[in-house]
Amino acid sequence: MIEVHDLRKRFGHVVAVDGISFRAKDGEVTALLGPNGAGKTTTLRAIYGLIKPDSGHVSIDGIDVVANPMAAQRRIGALPEARGAYPRLTAREHVQYFARLQGLSERDSEQRCEDLMERLGMGEIADRRTEGFSHGERTKVALARALVHGPQNVLLDEPTSGLDVMSARAIRGLVRHLSGEGKCVLFSSHLMHEVSAVCDSIVIVAKGRVVARGTPDDLRAATRCESLEDAFVSLTADGGATE
Amino acid sequence: MKHFLASLTVVLRKELIDGLRDRRSILSALVPLAILPLMILFSFGALSDEIEQARRITVPVAGAERAQALVDWLDQQWGVEIETGISEPRLAVREGDHDLVLVVPEDFGANFEEARSAELEIVVDSSERGARLAAGRLRPLIRAYSQQVSAQRLIARGVSPELMRPLRVETVELASSQEQAAAAFMFIPMLLLMIAFVGGQQIAIDSTAGERERLSLEPLLLNPVPRLSIVGGKWLASFSFAGASLVMTAGMLMIVLDRSPMRRVGIDLDVGLPELGTMLAAALPLAMLGSALLLSISTLARSYKEAQTYTTFLVMTPMLPMVLSVGSPIEPAPWKLAVPLLSQHILVTDVLEGKTPEPLSLLIASVATVAMAVLFLALTAHQFRREKIVFGRTT
Repeated sequence: MIEVHDLRKRFGHVVAVDGISFRAKDGEVTALLGPNGAGKTTTLRAIYGLIKPDSGHVSIDGIDVVANPMAAQRRIGALPEARGAYPRLTAREHVQYFARLQGLSERDSEQRCEDLMERLGMGEIADRRTEGFSHGERTKVALARALVHGPQNVLLDEPTSGLDVMSARAIRGLVRHLSGEGKCVLFSSHLMHEVSAVCDSIVIVAKGRVVARGTPDDLRAATRCESLEDAFVSLTADGGATE
Repeated sequence: MKHFLASLTVVLRKELIDGLRDRRSILSALVPLAILPLMILFSFGALSDEIEQARRITVPVAGAERAQALVDWLDQQWGVEIETGISEPRLAVREGDHDLVLVVPEDFGANFEEARSAELEIVVDSSERGARLAAGRLRPLIRAYSQQVSAQRLIARGVSPELMRPLRVETVELASSQEQAAAAFMFIPMLLLMIAFVGGQQIAIDSTAGERERLSLEPLLLNPVPRLSIVGGKWLASFSFAGASLVMTAGMLMIVLDRSPMRRVGIDLDVGLPELGTMLAAALPLAMLGSALLLSISTLARSYKEAQTYTTFLVMTPMLPMVLSVGSPIEPAPWKLAVPLLSQHILVTDVLEGKTPEPLSLLIASVATVAMAVLFLALTAHQFRREKIVFGRTT
């Protein structure tokens, strides 16, 4: 479970996150939805402990991220915005590297790596160096290394961005599968239709604030809009008037 | 601590695999291996050429028939070759056909017979370096012959030749021939220190500035691993490359020096296993510092290119002690042993000159250098915690 309470962060004069609070529960898929520059990535970075909030609290399964970042990181698997790979290492070596860094034994890491790559359909690319990988293949490598330690909480920053239809669909399938296993899945997106297809709960952010939250149905009702698309536009256009 | 070392090992292993597959890092480790023998052969060649040239001369003589005894005597001297039948000595030298010509004037024979001071001319163009050296070699030969003749004449008249030599000067060379040789091969300590200092450049840049440019730094830092073990692993990988390059080059140095025909021209540069070991013991701590310095600089750089530009300045720093020692040799002083680079320069030069450095000197130099390395590592680990460094300057 991920809890964010009154999170604030500014960079120089720019306020990136201005008091965001929400809770993502186990066994659910929570979406952080908002236009570009709404503060989604900054919020995620604060959750996985790479950005220190100016104020507010973030906790993972009750562990305070600022006070105990490494313990929190052990319970997180994250696909950050940056998905770079080492061009001279194979896909398998990437996943095993991260497994070992997460503290898995040599043997466990091999086993987990094998399972995960099969689940993500990476058989063909497993032993190829990542130099020249397509965007989709690289995303798979990044996903596999993020999930290799079987984390309870999964954070995905715009996981489907830049992917073709089939790959995006596979990722949505994975997201649902993870929440079916009782994991807490939090992902960010600026695509309304994608979110409505997989989410149990949506948190809409704009200009660093939460402007609405609830189930897809709740949001449609609250904005009296027929489609979620319209609801999203009407909520984010005036930049956080409703909270 | 166990966790710290375990994750450090994981990072080290990955960076070594990555580095060994990188053609650039392999090349930069191997290039010194190829350069060193070339440099030695080249400077050895130049040196021995000069010595050879100074010893072997051809003396063209005009009017040789007028001083046959002298010409025969010269011809018997080692390294001297006589050429006769020169008709236009001045022209021959001016045109560059000969470096010099020994001219025996027409009245030589008469003067010599009557025991008057008989004149000889050396026609030479001293603006030519070769000619100057040859003339320098010829003059003492003629002087020696002259002394021989005067001694014979004095003895014939019943006078001791000693009378003619109230003073005698002997020069005693105090510099050992190994010291002289070390002066000729001054680039060796510089090259070794350079390899130690920046041999790990490629890995250091690739694993910091390169890591961020490839966008793989953020995912890496998501792992529950102390920053110091990440930095430590990268540092050890960089140090391994610098160290391996250093050890290989020093080994190569030993082999090349052993095989080269230096002793024939009077150079004695004795580098055996003990000397090799001492040089490595002196230079390896420098590799630790160099790698740490490279890491901390590359971490601050915005891009791979920028990191390369910054670290190029580091490549030049090991030349400083050599440049400083050109005018006057660096006098050892206790405080100099605490200055990295300077201390290693002193120690390695000492070894090459055939002196054995004090263990205490070695210890002081190493401790000071390693302490500085640790400082830079801690600084880099701190940088890895800064948001601006992790995400670049755009955030």
